[in-house]
This record gives sequence, C-alpha cells and structure tokens, in this order.
Amino acid sequence: MSNFYHMPVLPKPDTKRVTINLDGKDVEVPEGTNLVEALKTLGIATPHFCYHQDLPVSGNCRQCMVETDGPRGMALAIACYTPVRAGMKVATDRSSVKVKEARAAVMEFQLANHPLDCPICDKAGECTLQDNYMSSDRQPSRMRDDIGKQYKGSPEFRHEDSKGQERGGKHVDLGPTVILDQERCILCDRCVRFMRDVAGEEQLYINGRGDHAFLSTFPGMELSHDYDLNVSDVCPVGALTGKHFRFQQRVWLLSKTETIDPFDSLGANITVEHHDGHAWRIMPRRHPDVNKSWISNRARLEYQKLSTDRLASGRFQTAEVPLAQAVARAGELVRGGRKVAIVSSGTLTLEDNAALYALTKSLDNKAELFGGSWAPVGKPDGIAQSGDPIGNRLGLKLLGIPDNLDELVRRAKEFDVLLVVGQDLWGLDATKAKALETIPERIVLSAWHDATTAKATLSVGVRSWAEVRGTMINCQGRIQMLNAAPILPSPDLEPVWQVVSEMGKLGWTSELDAYQVAQVRIPSLTGLNYRAIGPQGRLLEGVVA
Amino acid sequence: MTTLTVTQNFGKGAKDIGVYKSLGGYSTIGQKLFDLSQFELIDLVTRSGLRGRGGAGFPTGMKWSFVPRNSAKPVYLVVNADEGEPGTFKDHVLMLEDPHRLIEGMILCGWALGVRTAYIYVRGEFLAAIDTLNAALKQAYEAGFLGENIKGSGYSLDIYVHRGAGAYICGEETALINSLEGFKGQPRLKPPFPAVSGAWASPTCVNNVETLMALPWILENGVEAYAAMGTPKSTGTKVFSVSGDVKRPGVYEVPLGTPLMELLESDKYCQGVVGTLKGVIPGGSSSPVLTAEEAAKANMDYESLASLKTMLGSGAVVAFNTTRSAVGMLASLTRFYAHESCGQCTPCREGTGYADRILKTVVAGKGRDGDLDHMLSLAANFSYTTICPLAIADAWPIENFIGKFRGEFDAAVSRNPEHAADRVDPAFRPGAFW
Repeated sequence: MSNFYHMPVLPKPDTKRVTINLDGKDVEVPEGTNLVEALKTLGIATPHFCYHQDLPVSGNCRQCMVETDGPRGMALAIACYTPVRAGMKVATDRSSVKVKEARAAVMEFQLANHPLDCPICDKAGECTLQDNYMSSDRQPSRMRDDIGKQYKGSPEFRHEDSKGQERGGKHVDLGPTVILDQERCILCDRCVRFMRDVAGEEQLYINGRGDHAFLSTFPGMELSHDYDLNVSDVCPVGALTGKHFRFQQRVWLLSKTETIDPFDSLGANITVEHHDGHAWRIMPRRHPDVNKSWISNRARLEYQKLSTDRLASGRFQTAEVPLAQAVARAGELVRGGRKVAIVSSGTLTLEDNAALYALTKSLDNKAELFGGSWAPVGKPDGIAQSGDPIGNRLGLKLLGIPDNLDELVRRAKEFDVLLVVGQDLWGLDATKAKALETIPERIVLSAWHDATTAKATLSVGVRSWAEVRGTMINCQGRIQMLNAAPILPSPDLEPVWQVVSEMGKLGWTSELDAYQVAQVRIPSLTGLNYRAIGPQGRLLEGVVA
Repeated sequence: MTTLTVTQNFGKGAKDIGVYKSLGGYSTIGQKLFDLSQFELIDLVTRSGLRGRGGAGFPTGMKWSFVPRNSAKPVYLVVNADEGEPGTFKDHVLMLEDPHRLIEGMILCGWALGVRTAYIYVRGEFLAAIDTLNAALKQAYEAGFLGENIKGSGYSLDIYVHRGAGAYICGEETALINSLEGFKGQPRLKPPFPAVSGAWASPTCVNNVETLMALPWILENGVEAYAAMGTPKSTGTKVFSVSGDVKRPGVYEVPLGTPLMELLESDKYCQGVVGTLKGVIPGGSSSPVLTAEEAAKANMDYESLASLKTMLGSGAVVAFNTTRSAVGMLASLTRFYAHESCGQCTPCREGTGYADRILKTVVAGKGRDGDLDHMLSLAANFSYTTICPLAIADAWPIENFIGKFRGEFDAAVSRNPEHAADRVDPAFRPGAFW
C-alpha cells in the first residue's frame, strides 16, 4: 500500500507516439503511459493483480515484471509503474528468461498461501490468479504438504476486534452486501484503494503485516456504501464476493449482453449476464468517459427486478386477458375518436418514445403527448451516477416531448382516454395522480405490476429495459445502445414500440422504423446507425453545451 | 589516542545543555555557521566524504544536493532514529548520551537545506531516548538555539520528536515518512524520491542520527581533519555497536578502515572473543555473515567489506563462537524478517514467511533433502523483485548462512530419519489425478 498515490496514465487517441525497443524490435507506443497500457496497445498482455486502470498504482503484486534499461543496465521493473520514454529498451517474457523466471517466482509466492478451492470458489472462471497461473507459471507445487499453507480461513484466525466485532477466518460478513473469504485474499489492496480513492470513504484496510496480514473493516465498522459491491469486481480472486451472487451460478455458464442502466441519466455501461433465460447478475462495462469501471449497487441489483412482479399478460378491469386481446382492445380505445392523453417515459428508449410520438401524430388533434416525471432528482455522486433517475431525459427533450405532467393533472377532465407508458405515476405521487382517476379509460403499458397498473382499466404487459434493443441519450449528450437479453418471462411480450405500432396501426416491423422517426426529429442523429453507435456510444455534437 | 567525532562526550553528562556547552557544544551555531551560504555548507559536507551511517552509506553531501532549492513547498528534515536492525544499538546510546549534538547537527543540516520544520522519528520502544530528546529540545529552545530567529540570524527551526509504533520497516525512509504522516508504515514506490517529494509531498531529507551528529565536529575542526581519518573512500570515524561473544560488548567509535579483529581483540575495545570465533555478522543482521577466516581479513570500511561481499550497514557487529548453532541463528533471523515484512509486496510477504516455515521444520528435526535448496531458490526469487530491500535483507543471511555453514544445515536435515523421502507427495503432482 504505497500511500503516495499516482493514477495511471492511460493512452488517449491524441497521445504522442514514440519508438521504444521492445524485445529487440522497434515499436511505436504512446508516450508517458505505463508499460502495461503501452504493451496493451500492441496487443501484448502483461499479467498483473494489483494494477487497475481506474485505481491509483500501488505496485505491490510484482507480477507485471519486465526488464528495462537503467543506469545499471537492464534491470527488473514493474511495468505498471514504468512510464514509456522514447528510445527505452524493454524486454518482456518473450525475450528475457529473467522476466519469465521472475514472473513464475512471483506466481509461486502468490500461490504459496492461496487455497486450492477453485471448485467451490465463485471467482473460478474469471479469476486473475487462474489466468496468470496459466500464462506465467504452470509449474507444479514445490511445497511440502506437511509444511502447508498459512490458512487464514481457519478458526484460529477468527478474533474479535476492539469493538467486539467478529473478524478474520472463513466467510467474514463485512457488511450488508459483501462477504470476505480471507484465505483467498492475495492482499493486492485494490479494494482498499477503491474504497479510499473512488468511493471516497475508507472503510477497508489491511491489518497486520507479512503473510499473516488480512483485510478488515475498522473496529466496530462495516463495509457499507452505495458502491461497495464494486470491490468484488476489482478483487482479482474470490476473496470478496457479493451476497447477491454468492453460489448462484458458475460464471462460465453466463452469456453477456451489453446494455446500459436506464434508471440514471448518466447511463452507466453494464452487461446483463444471463443463463437459461434468467438474468443472474449485472456487471459494469468499462467506459472511460461515462462510468469508468464502476456501477452503483442500485444499478447492479436492478436484475433482481427483472424476474419479480412482472406483468406478463394483459389485464382488463380485474380479469386477466391474453396479450393480443389486450393490445387490440387498447388500440380500439385509442383510435376510437375520443380525446386521448398519452404519457411518455424517460426510462424508455428513444424508439419507444418515437413510437408514442408517431401514435400521437397519427391521431391528429384527438391526442396529446405528455412527458416528464415526478421522480425526485438527486445530485451527481461523482462516480457513476448523475442522480437523475430518468435515463433518457435528454432524449425526450430532443424528441420535443414536453415536461408537462402537472399540466396533464390540471387538464385531466378534458380527456376520455389515458395511455400511460412505462411510468408508475401513482407509485411516484399518488396525490397528484388522483386527478387522473377521473379519466374513464386508463390504459397502462408496463413491464411490472405496480400502483399504476392497479389503477388501470386496461393494462398491457411489455418487455422491460433489459429485453429490448434501442437507444438512449445520456446527460452528457451521448447516444448509447440497449441490447436485448434473451430473458423474457413470457415469449409473447413485445417491446413498447411494437405494441404502440399495433395500437396505432403504424405497421412497423423493427425498432429501426422507430429509430428513423427519432432521426427525423433529432438532426444530430442523421447518418448515425446502430452499428456506428457501437458498444461505447457516440457523443452527439452540440447537444450539451 | 583515536580522535572521536561523535562519542567524545560519552559519560560526561552532556545531556544537560550546560555541560554540553562547557564541552564546546553549540559553538558552531553562530557566525561560523551563518556566514556560510547553503552551497558552501553542502560543498563542505561533500568534501568531508561523510557517508550516511544508517546502512546504505550514501554520500551525505550528494543526498543534500538532491533537495531542490527555492521549492514552493517547505523542505523537511527527518532524522531516522528508528533503529531496529537486530544487533544495532548505537543510535539509542548516542541519543541518550549526547542529544544536544544531534540537535546541533540538525541545525547545521537545517541551515544547509533551508529547513523550517524537522522531525526526529524515534523507535517507539526507546522511551528513555524520547524523554532525553524532549528534555534536550526544551533546553535548546530556552537557550535560543531553536525556534524563531536562532541567535539573531533570522533563521528559524522547529524540531519535533515523533514516536514510531514499533515496525522495523519504518527504518526504510519512505515507510518512515508514511508512518510520520500517519499512514501504515509501508515503503512507497520510487520515484519520486523523498528528496523531491517526501513527507506531505514536499522535499524531504532523511538522515541517520549518527550522520547528523558527525556534522558539528566537521564544521569545527575542518573538512581536511575529518577526511584525513579513515580510508580515502570511507572517511572519518564510525560508531560500531558490538555484541555477541566478546568480552566487552558495547558502542565503540573507531576510524573507518580499522581491522575487524582489532575492534574485537583490542584492549581499547572489546578485549577479545569469548571462546573460538566462528563467524561475525559485520553490519547488522541483514549483512552477509563472515566466517572467522574472512573476518580476519576484513577492515571496517565500506570498500573492504564490499570486497568480501558483505557490507558495513549500520555498524552492528555480532561475533559468535563455535558453541553457537548457525541453524538456530538463521532461524531467529528468518523469524524476525517474516514477522517484520510489511506485507506489501507479494514475494517478500509470502516468501519470508514461507522460508521461515521451512527452516522451522528443519530446526524441529523434520527437514527433508532439498529443503535447503528450496529455501535458497526462494531467497533468490524474492530478492530484487520488491519495492524495498527488506526481502534482500532476509535473502542475504539465508544465502550466506546456508552457503558458509552448509555442513551444519545438512546435519540438521539428516536428523530426520526420513529425510530422504519425497519432499512433495507424488499424489499431489499434476497428472496424478487426470
């Protein structure tokens, strides 16, 4: 734990490139960046444990050894803390036996006290220690079994801290979300650095010295923070695991769908990881300009809602009806020539909202489109949330959908049909929403049973955010893709744009039809197709000053 | 009569400022010092050839010259009095006997580097030394040698005593700085070096107690007089703390280059070895051990010991006779380093503990053939791959004790009747299961 912290210098597109001599060959790499990153630009992976792009360099694992030329000739140095200088000589394990041996030696030390419980470890399959063993070592153990390991999971490591809290030993309960298996910990101190330098609250520290050191919370304290589950992501081994995912699923079974978090206007990049039609967890997906490598616990646990309380069919008055019938009925009501109020939602995609826009247009002056939300807006936390729970707020604004829910409340009596899409109006503010109960026909399109579907005369189940393909524009003016994970609770569920298209007989066949409408409304989307948006999104010029 | 430059006031009650002044103390704090420019003083120290007495022997003048001039940040002077190396006890005695000489040296160094605030980082267990220092500081403040505007020169210096919390590693300068700042005492990544960015990210000079205590004599008696002592490359005198199987262990100041045997045998110093000499650790526990034959050739200076592949280190001479077991001595050293490894770098954290566990089984009579070679291989693997030299300080004793007293270690292994059995159960070899 070098307390004198330095954030790693990462290569940027405009970083000057210089020539270095790598393994006897001249190559061009970005200047000033550390060698781990520089070699990465050449496609060369350097094994490491403690180094992390978004954490200060600690340099304690000693795994990323390379040889560089110094005043005393070629000498071992850690790649993560060696900046690229023009003309420097670098030798990796590809050319230097010394580097190869040093890495294997460090690997042996890493494993000296690490248990071999991979078969029951949640990290197995995505474990840095496993990966690096395969890339840098692959040697059999030289340890005598009667000497044995320093097994920190044993009861003798269990103790009470000065405030009477149980610490040490096997599966230590660190707080509401995370469990520590100390014997697996390789003391890389990534979690300590995460809590101190990213989360901003130093809640973890490494107690003791030498090979009997162990990770702990401060006496009488627990690990409890809006972002504390990220420590299990940065943990290179299975020492820190989230209670929500412990022993749930083997990670190699999981397929990943890249999408974004729709419940915050920063739109943190995530992957929904699913197996057998079920979402098992959400992991952060690194985006250097959006959420770095972090997501909040709220976003991470969003997957649990995907399989609970889903509205998987239609509902007319109190009777359950097949979806198709409910959609047809909703279409008749909307097209029936009566005055329709349509409420859009900022947690739905641009495509869904474009469909509502098109529906409103197709009904001429019989329909009016309302937007906005009663959800309270918080402050940015500086990590991976803007505090605004309406993910697509900017997108709605660009589409020209006004923020006028309160006006709808005032003018509720003017309307005969209310169509609420993807918004829990009654759940957010039942007092305000009460005025809307005077509208005789209340149609709700929702993915969940909620307070609003309870007030509906007709409710229609739709796909949730994780099950649709589409786009959102985050508060930075960055358009980002949502992708559909194959985790539908019912195969009949359709995305909102499709339901709306059927209701209004718009005849759309894919979300691209909806996206085209959005492109017409938002000039900066011209010529920007889904492929161009890509997994990292695209910053729209001139959208945010 | 040997000229003493550091220990001349021993046994004279110099912890009192009156006595110290009557013995010629604080005579440099005045025109003599303040007429010198910073550069002249640094140049003077460079020419004296004074080298750091803490262990590494880095030239003091050069170290000072690395501290940037006119920095926008304050420059700190930190005195390393975290004397923890097994066998070393000179700084403790120096601070107890002559604390004002340290303060005087600190004022000199402070003037050379433009230091406003200085710290003495004292090993936590040295309670008596801490009390002595605090009492001496109080006297020095009262006499106007510290505080605002020292002796009308316009120069101000404050000195604080900081008590360490009992970690050997805090003798490493960046770990010391971390500890001083209130962090866990673990060495920092370098660069930046403390001279550029040390305590509170400001330029910091970390010097050993003895180094600073040599300064008043140098300034008073002249560079040439100091450089005339010792050898051309190791000038001046050095304080040695001699312990072990000698008739009169203690703290002795001798000119550098003095033969090791003279230090051990001379009537002025240790008055001879008890029993038959088996070996000598010449510079603290981490310095490679010398056999009796090597010790007979050794002179106590940096170059002579380097030629014997060992080092002067902190000047802690531990002599041991033939009744001592090399295995037992190494076992206590590996236990020390395994206990004191700060736990930061993997090779040191896991390696020192692992090597210690192996040696423990050998001591317990359960060694197997190959254990010693495995230990040597581990020692080679954890050297030179870590942030600080603690791992090397463990590796050198392992390599040298086993290398130079191999017979004893082999005998310890073969005390196990099953020493020839497989070290690793073949059932655990890869391929056994699949």
